[in-house]
Amino acid sequence: MAMIEVKNITKSYGDHTVLKDFSVDFDQSGVTVILGPSGTGKSTLLRCINGLEKTNSGDILVDGLSVNDKKNLKQIRMTCGMVFQHTVIFPHLNVMENLIMSPMKILKTPKGEAIDKARYYLKKVGLESKEKSMHNELSGGEQQRIAIARALMMNPKALLLDEITSALDPEMTREVQNVLESLAADGVCMLCVTHEMSFARDVASRILFLDGGSIVCDAPKDEFFGKIRQENDRINKFLSFIGE
Amino acid sequence: MYRLSFRFLENPQYQELLKEGVINTLIITFFCLIFGFLIGLIVAMMRRSKMKVLRGFGAFWVDFLRNTPFLVQLFFFYHSLPRLGIELDPVIVSIIALSINTSAGNCEVIRAGLMAVKKSYYECAAALGLSTFQTVRHVVLPISLRVAFKPLVSNFVNLILTTSTCFSITVVELMGASKIINGRVDRPFEIYLLLLVAYCCITFLISMISKAVDRKIAITL
Amino acid sequence: MQEVHVMGQYSQLAVGDIYTFLEACGVTLLVTLVSLVLGTLLGTALGLVRCSKNKIISSLPLIIMEPLRNSPLVVQLFLVYYGLPMVFGILLDAYPAAILTLSLNTAAFFAVLVHNSITAIPVSQWEAGYALGHGKASTFVNVIFRQALRLLIPQAITLYINQLQCSSMISLISLRDICRIGQLVSVRTMQPFLVWGIVFALYYVISFPLARLASYLEKRVNFSY
Repeated sequence: MAMIEVKNITKSYGDHTVLKDFSVDFDQSGVTVILGPSGTGKSTLLRCINGLEKTNSGDILVDGLSVNDKKNLKQIRMTCGMVFQHTVIFPHLNVMENLIMSPMKILKTPKGEAIDKARYYLKKVGLESKEKSMHNELSGGEQQRIAIARALMMNPKALLLDEITSALDPEMTREVQNVLESLAADGVCMLCVTHEMSFARDVASRILFLDGGSIVCDAPKDEFFGKIRQENDRINKFLSFIGE
Repeated sequence: MYRLSFRFLENPQYQELLKEGVINTLIITFFCLIFGFLIGLIVAMMRRSKMKVLRGFGAFWVDFLRNTPFLVQLFFFYHSLPRLGIELDPVIVSIIALSINTSAGNCEVIRAGLMAVKKSYYECAAALGLSTFQTVRHVVLPISLRVAFKPLVSNFVNLILTTSTCFSITVVELMGASKIINGRVDRPFEIYLLLLVAYCCITFLISMISKAVDRKIAITL
Repeated sequence: MQEVHVMGQYSQLAVGDIYTFLEACGVTLLVTLVSLVLGTLLGTALGLVRCSKNKIISSLPLIIMEPLRNSPLVVQLFLVYYGLPMVFGILLDAYPAAILTLSLNTAAFFAVLVHNSITAIPVSQWEAGYALGHGKASTFVNVIFRQALRLLIPQAITLYINQLQCSSMISLISLRDICRIGQLVSVRTMQPFLVWGIVFALYYVISFPLARLASYLEKRVNFSY
């Protein structure tokens, strides 16, 4: 059984259908990069997996638990940590408090233990010096790295990353990607929606290409950038267009 | 040339009256602060409710209280409660009327605070696995109350100033006590000047404290 | 009906009360309007002085503004009505006392609004004015003042509504305004719900449209610098 099973989901906003009878499985391994033009339901897919959006039909099972059952949401969200394009570092808490809040409140982790863990992850994202900082003292890139650390605090089986570098300048994007690369090297399972081709090339193990609410291509990375690109005109156009 | 005289202040009888006045002012302020906040919070929640009836009621509550004078609201309660067979001490009537009156201002301030917490905050909290209650308790309320702090204090200052109106239904609070003393010593200028200065000092003190507190808890969104 | 009169001092609400209430509306509106006009003029003057670059000059208006803003209106009213005549040995009628107090009170709050509205206009707007060759006065009149006015008007209306409510305080120095008549009639008829209902309605009918206007204007103010 795959860790995340997306079964025939349909999601529409009013008249606009974003995902049509959409099915896909994700195992708990490697980095899956989800590519595709804007508005093709990439983000919506991640948000549905995390139960932030309700699907119109179909079902998603995370570790065998259905997102349609409200009681499962908490467990599902702990299984899948999520980071957004505009992640919020809670403004009333400093970095350390941001990190330890959810483990302490949800997992009932003792404070000392939570702090040790937070220091470990802060080091992992290279921000051990920012423990006491408030959100407005951090750059965009630093905020995203903190958000990644915060998501990791809940011991998720997978990270859902929704265009987390889209709002950052190139330098900060690089910082965040370095963190992701090192996590990937540690074997953290990730589902990323991104426009950073270099990231897809370097880190991804599997590429999912969406267009018009359905899967155009689902292939291992090498195959995608090699054979498929040459054969599939749509994908070639997209990659050429974004400068690959 | 008019000569000021504050000799009446030495009279223990009047000191006693003023003490009573201060106590009553404090009592009314204290209870109205709590009830006014709680009612304000509830009405603010109503105004954000999905149910149209609750939203409508909340809007009317605020509109009505803001567009009618407090003095009239006070007289209304003072005259109509006995008519319903409810005989209450004027202090309690004042607390009821003033709590309701300040709730309107508090509601608007709290509502603005709640609106400052954008959708992305809720999503982030949800994505971390926080339940709705935990999100409200640990994210929404701490942020909105910090945003609302300054205007809440200014409502509080307003509340203190408004307690002086309660003398009109025979409550012996600061203003009421001063009026009684004036009736005996006929020194209106001194007494009311003193009262004016006293209120200024209280509000000045509060604004000093609130500034210090605000510096501690202020957040940038 | 006759019996009621004979038996007790209470009497039903009568047709004559309509005229009394209308008169009372006149008193409330007269005192409020005159005070608002005077208060606005004085407040504008104080607010402009507050905008002065010279720190000493700009803080001078605070000497009268702060006590007026930080003490209850009733106290101010009693100080003027009962206190001032003692000091100056004059007789002050209730009307002038009420208008004087309400005007000063309005002025203090209005000055803050004027000051805030003007300082809310970014420096870049001044610079833009200068860059176009306007002098200081011309920039103020043509660029700053007009933008400040758009910020000011909705807040001013809200203040005016508030002052209308505050005008009910004049009933405490026995001016026969709406509130005072309500009190008298309520006691006389022993029908508090009906009488205060009328009083609420009168204030509400005057205030509510203004409140709507203010929030409409507020929404229209959409600066994006």
